[in-house]
Amino acid sequence: MEQILTDMPQVIWDGLFVGSFYALIALGYSMVYGIIKLLNFAHGDIYMVGAFIGYALLTALGGSFQMMGLFSLIVVMMISMLLTGTIGVVVEKLAYRPLRGAPRLAVLITAVGASFSLEYGVAAIAGSKPRGFPVRLDGETLFMLGARVTVPQIILMLIAGVLMFALDRYIRGTSTGRAMRSISLDMKGSLLMGVNVNSVISRTFFIGSALAGAAGVMAGAYYGNISFLMGFIIGLKAFTAAVIGGIGNIRGAMLGGLVLGLVEAFGSEIVGGQWRDAFAFAVLILFLTLRPTGILGERVTERV
Amino acid sequence: MNFGKRTLGVLGVATAVLLATSACSGGLLGGGDSGDSDSGPIKIGMIVPTSGSSAPTGASMSNGAQMAVDEINAAGGILDGRMLELQIADGACDAQQAVASANKLVSSGVSISVGGYCSGATLPTLPIFDKAGVPMIIPAANSQDLVNEKLKSVFLINGTGLQQSAAALDFVKKQGYKAVALVDDNTSYSKDITTETEKQIKADGASTVVLNTSVNPGESDYSSVVRDINGSGADLVYWTGYYQEGGLIIDQLRKAGYTGDIMVADGSADPTLAEIAGAAAEGVYATMTPTPNTIDGAEGWIADYKKAFGDDPKPYSTQSYDAVRLAAAAFEAAGNTNTDDVIKALEGIKDFKAFSGPLSFTKDHTLASGGFVILVMKDADFQLFDNLQ
Repeated sequence: MEQILTDMPQVIWDGLFVGSFYALIALGYSMVYGIIKLLNFAHGDIYMVGAFIGYALLTALGGSFQMMGLFSLIVVMMISMLLTGTIGVVVEKLAYRPLRGAPRLAVLITAVGASFSLEYGVAAIAGSKPRGFPVRLDGETLFMLGARVTVPQIILMLIAGVLMFALDRYIRGTSTGRAMRSISLDMKGSLLMGVNVNSVISRTFFIGSALAGAAGVMAGAYYGNISFLMGFIIGLKAFTAAVIGGIGNIRGAMLGGLVLGLVEAFGSEIVGGQWRDAFAFAVLILFLTLRPTGILGERVTERV
Repeated sequence: MNFGKRTLGVLGVATAVLLATSACSGGLLGGGDSGDSDSGPIKIGMIVPTSGSSAPTGASMSNGAQMAVDEINAAGGILDGRMLELQIADGACDAQQAVASANKLVSSGVSISVGGYCSGATLPTLPIFDKAGVPMIIPAANSQDLVNEKLKSVFLINGTGLQQSAAALDFVKKQGYKAVALVDDNTSYSKDITTETEKQIKADGASTVVLNTSVNPGESDYSSVVRDINGSGADLVYWTGYYQEGGLIIDQLRKAGYTGDIMVADGSADPTLAEIAGAAAEGVYATMTPTPNTIDGAEGWIADYKKAFGDDPKPYSTQSYDAVRLAAAAFEAAGNTNTDDVIKALEGIKDFKAFSGPLSFTKDHTLASGGFVILVMKDADFQLFDNLQ
């Protein structure tokens, strides 16, 4: 018990850090679900593809990136975001658009198929061997309120925060954002009001996938290891985070990510690290049974 | 909706029919001898991971086996000129995939199996091969669970978890560690070593086990186990899982300010560990069976291997090479490929010249001498540190 108390600041910090990754990926899940009611299970693999694109770019740059450090990493991250965003749009066009209006189970199975295609596509191109990331974020260790905090952690959380803030502004403050919100309320109605539904859906996939791609590059640079199956577990966790926050709700996804990170950190501190996943998914089941709309979920009755 | 229900029904019937047919074919195949003729090539089956995160090791194992097959065939084959034919099947370190591959190999009529890397995936294949009368020489997988199956047809030529734990304890005593933290990845191979090591350290009494915990493989963030280790006051961490998680844990341990020593078991004793952990991997110890670059007099063999496959031999290349040679020797001694004769021949093997030293089997069909050594990571590669002699 004493151990748990002295560890507390560290547990909270570790939870928030992992949670910010979950949040970034959960956003894509939540946005897509909010608009076309699709659980895009290929989303975790977009994160993996982002990490591999970052790996390829940094390897191609060779030694020159070392001199520019963080700046080059951010540039690489942006290029990866563009590419993963495009891949997200392509996946939507090829796999989901032809099935619009099909039973939701069919689309769900297609999503699982898209996920496998991405995983084994990358394995076929890059090999199934896990790879070390060419750039490693190293930095000072600071002690804050009894927790050990590293500079790279702060930088990555800042980047995640900026991306999420920008997205929030975009959804609430631009006409595309308004179009997204209106489609999620009533797709047919929006179509009749002159909203270009297909282009807005494409844009949603682009943004969601770009955020996952950013998370992939960040995870590669921080943890230093990438493999073609790295998106699987974290995809499920992000889905859990989206459900906790209220799937379809953008701010809920961010909150859900952080909450899940904290829940996992506390759970594994109290009952042991090997129970971490069990804890995360038990929370998912709890939410699905007790409060399926999540913490910030909108009332479902709006849809008639 | 109606349509959906009907499809489900049809699916159900289809599954039932499939199950029935596969049960039949199982019945036809099971129980009999391997059933090959007395001429033509002798098929050797090998299940190794060719996909998934352990695929690189799978490739180095199949290369080692292929090299032995090529050498034996070039020398005119065995049993009056019969050639050997190696059939690789993917085990993917996954029990279901391995079982499917074992069935595939059995139905293609292999006379012996020389595969098996991940213990968790190897274990369920044992009864399949055993029922079909296929003896197994397992080059890498070494969980005590494999021994506990007590199958007459199973032979392990890698040191077992028990022998590895004994080596770990030797090293702990030699270096004078006082507080040991044991971490496994919840797989049968890995848990086996931590359980056995804890038992032996407790029985020995010179040091204490301050932590024995598990992590989930396949994740990126291991901050909770890192906190536990730092809170336990350990001066040695012994990680018994595979290198992918091992690399991450080592990196995160060092980042979190852990200053004690780190040791890994043979599943992590691979140069890839350094690729993942970066500078943090320097000075990491490993309990390992001898590898090509830690064996004296293996230079010529390494050069041949490089010429054939354009890559350095990796851990278990030698064991796989030896497994095939051992199989050939057993066929020669038996004079045929009949299951019982081959098993008897393997039991009778004495001081067979293998990379790990003279090889004979105990009555449990494990190595009579374990041959574990301690390696240390230096300049991103494992080198011999202490041969524990």
